[in-house]
Amino acid sequence: MNAPHRAAAAAPLPFYQPLADECEVFEAAWRQQLPLLIKGPTGCGKTRFVAHMAARLGLPLFTVSCHDDLSAADLVGRHLIAAGDTQWCDGPLTRAVRAGGICYLDEVVEARKDTTVVLHPLTDDRRILPIERTGEQLAAPPGFMLVVSYNPGYQHVLKTLKPSTRQRFVALAFDFPPPAVELTVLREEGGADEALARRLVALATQLRRLGGYHLDEAVSTRLLVYAAKLIASGMAARTACRVALVEPLSDEPDTLAALMAVVDTQFGA
Amino acid sequence: MEDLVGSWWDRLVRRAAYPGYPQAAVLLDDVAPQALLFFRAMGGDPGLAIRSAVGTAHGARRRWLARVAGIDTHVELAWRDGQALYLPERIDLYPDAALNRGLYFWLMALAAQPPAQGDWLQSNSEGTARCLTTMPGLATLYQRLVAALLPLRNWPANGTGQAAEQAIRHALLQPGTATALPAGSPPPQPVPLWLHPSPPSAAAANQDDGQQPEQGHGDSRDSKARRRYRARRDNPDDRKNGMLLQFRAESIFTWDDYVRVNRHQDEDEPDDGAAAEDMDRLTVSRDGKTRASRLKFDLDLPAAAYDDTPLGDGLLLPEWDYRRERLVADHCRLQPMLPRDASPAPLPDKLQAAARRLRRQFQALSPERSRKSGEASGPDLDLDRIIRFLAEQRSGVAVAEPPLYQAWPPAGRSMACLLLADLSLSTESWLGEAGQVIHVIRDSLLLFAEALAACGDAFGLYGFSSLRRSEVRYLLLKDFGEPYDDAARGRILAIRPGYYTRMGAAIRQSTSILLQQPAQRRLLLIVSDGKPNDLDHYEGRYGVEDTRQAVLEARRAGLIPFCVTVDREAGDYLPHLFGKRGYSVVHDAHRLPQVLTSLYASLTA
Ligand SMILES: Nc1ncnc2c1ncn2[C@@H]1O[C@H](COP(=O)(O)OP(=O)(O)OP(=O)(O)O)[C@@H](O)[C@H]1O
Ligand SMILES: [Mg+2]
Repeated sequence: MNAPHRAAAAAPLPFYQPLADECEVFEAAWRQQLPLLIKGPTGCGKTRFVAHMAARLGLPLFTVSCHDDLSAADLVGRHLIAAGDTQWCDGPLTRAVRAGGICYLDEVVEARKDTTVVLHPLTDDRRILPIERTGEQLAAPPGFMLVVSYNPGYQHVLKTLKPSTRQRFVALAFDFPPPAVELTVLREEGGADEALARRLVALATQLRRLGGYHLDEAVSTRLLVYAAKLIASGMAARTACRVALVEPLSDEPDTLAALMAVVDTQFGA
Repeated sequence: MEDLVGSWWDRLVRRAAYPGYPQAAVLLDDVAPQALLFFRAMGGDPGLAIRSAVGTAHGARRRWLARVAGIDTHVELAWRDGQALYLPERIDLYPDAALNRGLYFWLMALAAQPPAQGDWLQSNSEGTARCLTTMPGLATLYQRLVAALLPLRNWPANGTGQAAEQAIRHALLQPGTATALPAGSPPPQPVPLWLHPSPPSAAAANQDDGQQPEQGHGDSRDSKARRRYRARRDNPDDRKNGMLLQFRAESIFTWDDYVRVNRHQDEDEPDDGAAAEDMDRLTVSRDGKTRASRLKFDLDLPAAAYDDTPLGDGLLLPEWDYRRERLVADHCRLQPMLPRDASPAPLPDKLQAAARRLRRQFQALSPERSRKSGEASGPDLDLDRIIRFLAEQRSGVAVAEPPLYQAWPPAGRSMACLLLADLSLSTESWLGEAGQVIHVIRDSLLLFAEALAACGDAFGLYGFSSLRRSEVRYLLLKDFGEPYDDAARGRILAIRPGYYTRMGAAIRQSTSILLQQPAQRRLLLIVSDGKPNDLDHYEGRYGVEDTRQAVLEARRAGLIPFCVTVDREAGDYLPHLFGKRGYSVVHDAHRLPQVLTSLYASLTA
């Protein structure tokens, strides 16, 4: 995580199909130097959206996947031993601040509360990052933006952001794309033809009715893209749906059998 | 009874039964575990239960229709009303079991479609067409079902009968193009691929009103007034009229699913004698109308002699009055109790296997180990600090050696969970073959406790019911301080349903118990089966608002309240009580034990 960063050359714009006005909101927040919170279920395009916006605004992107052992040093930086000497190495947050880019903290609720506190001075109007270990204090340039995301499913009621953290962000709620948008995503990302994309989207609509009742999480766009890719590469549709859409959702034999019956309403022999 | 059900349809099915292939039969029991999920995925109303079309709740083996009609071989058809989706108890129409099984899924897909226009023929044909366009994967199955059905159908002898049969075959082969049945045609042969033309409940209702049932596909949701089946819960408008309990009296349910209970209005006054009278003898009438023959009913509430054992004098607790927008101090008396007749008992044999599995799973929920930096001793070096120390030493700043180790203290998960179970009389309602809700709750408590004991989290189990504000009964099943042993198991095994649901007071007491636990995260898990209610004004808005306040108080105190319910209508009020993400509805109550434990695992993971 603390390896020196090599600035990516102007990469092609990652494909992102907007659902509503989220691109405009993102850009407006960036221009006003406001931090952004994105909430939404897993695999609905949050990471892709941020990558797309970073490329679109020509900003370097520094992504951190948060976990419960993430320390402030993992974000800010630490001393490393190099050539018999100690050397300070910036963490991704510090690098993003120095570079005036986007720092994206994925699943920020997983991080311990004391870790997220280092974000506070960056997310109010001071926009500074004090580095305690080196005594440095960085002022964030106008290009810098902090983006965090989390999944507010009911499984996470015990883990939420502290209100004092939360109330520093502009927030965007994401959900699975409406059928027309998802159709385009499956065609562009999964290489599906029109007919296949239609069936997959219809199947997704059926399976998503089960989210919360029988399935903890509804089937994600990511999994649909997987299924599309497998089918487009020549795998039998039923098999692809089983491995990409059914098995990842449950371990219970009855649930799996019922999900396969649902698959058969779209891809039955 | 015959007059209620003996519509033309029953005469018809008696005449036109298909022979069947018993060796290829597929039972509803075989597909039932997948049925709810499939039906919902098809877009079926998530509030509906799945029942066997023989006339009782699925699993209860009373061939009601058959008995009433005095026949034993008849074709069972599928239909849907405001309560449930009814499916044949067994399908043996085809010689191929795969087709019989496919027919179940076909019927569920068809029944999940929104009601179509036209008569029976047109609406089924329309629904079929819609299924086939939205679900292209079903086309092959459908073609096979039709191809195998046609040879089984007879050609009627007379001309109009033939015209009708012709129209049906055309509709089967070319779905979506059907015209209405020819006028004046005799009742056609049943079509097992289609929904019931005149579902028994609607037929019974029409008959009751002295009308001949129409041939058209009536929207049976309108026949609300005559639900033949036992409803689990009244709806709010029924409630205003005083409907409050359901009974186990089978005889009642053969003519109506539940009866209204005209309860004497009683507010707060402690009129013990008269109130007891009210409690034990309630006047029962059908649909709130005055009936010539009013039935008197004895409710089997436990008499005082069989009551649970009170502990101490009880505690006074406040209650929220939403009209006055304030907490009324000392309004309820909560009585801690022990279940009567509880003797230490081991876990019942039938739960052993599930308990073993859960124990294994929950042992793996290893206590959260957190790295502690800057310790004076420990198994790992704290590299960050060492490097900083060396750097500082080199530049001549550092003096004394700081603590440079990392430790992994086996911190407990620091989790405490209080489970509060609703033991009111409504938990006595019937769930089909799994028995009563109370049995499912009992098994859930037992398995939940096994799981939590295995993972080492602090937990307590309590149950509650109420009898007005003067008696909120709070049952101690397993206190936080005591180990989970056979004594606690015995107490859980001894729980019985009784009385009402004054939820606010029980939540307040649970909150104060849970607040005494030193854990970092404290979960207040409430298992309920319906809305708060009690005999006095604790009903409707009042009960809901008091419960909501109690939940808010718990949340403000830093607890995490979460409700698990088996009430299908909970979506109407639980978001208001627990917040959008503060509850979970278990649609298939039989799965409560599994759901409860896996929910706990995912909540605390
Ligand atoms: N609107 C969209 N436009 C383009 N691709 C999309 C869109 N939505 C989803 N995808 C596809 O779905 C995949 C998963 O999205 P992504 O990784 O951004 O999800 P996420 O919301 O970050 O999930 P998680 O919370 O699990 O990290 C992407 O790789 C992309 O293929
Ligand atoms: Mg992501």
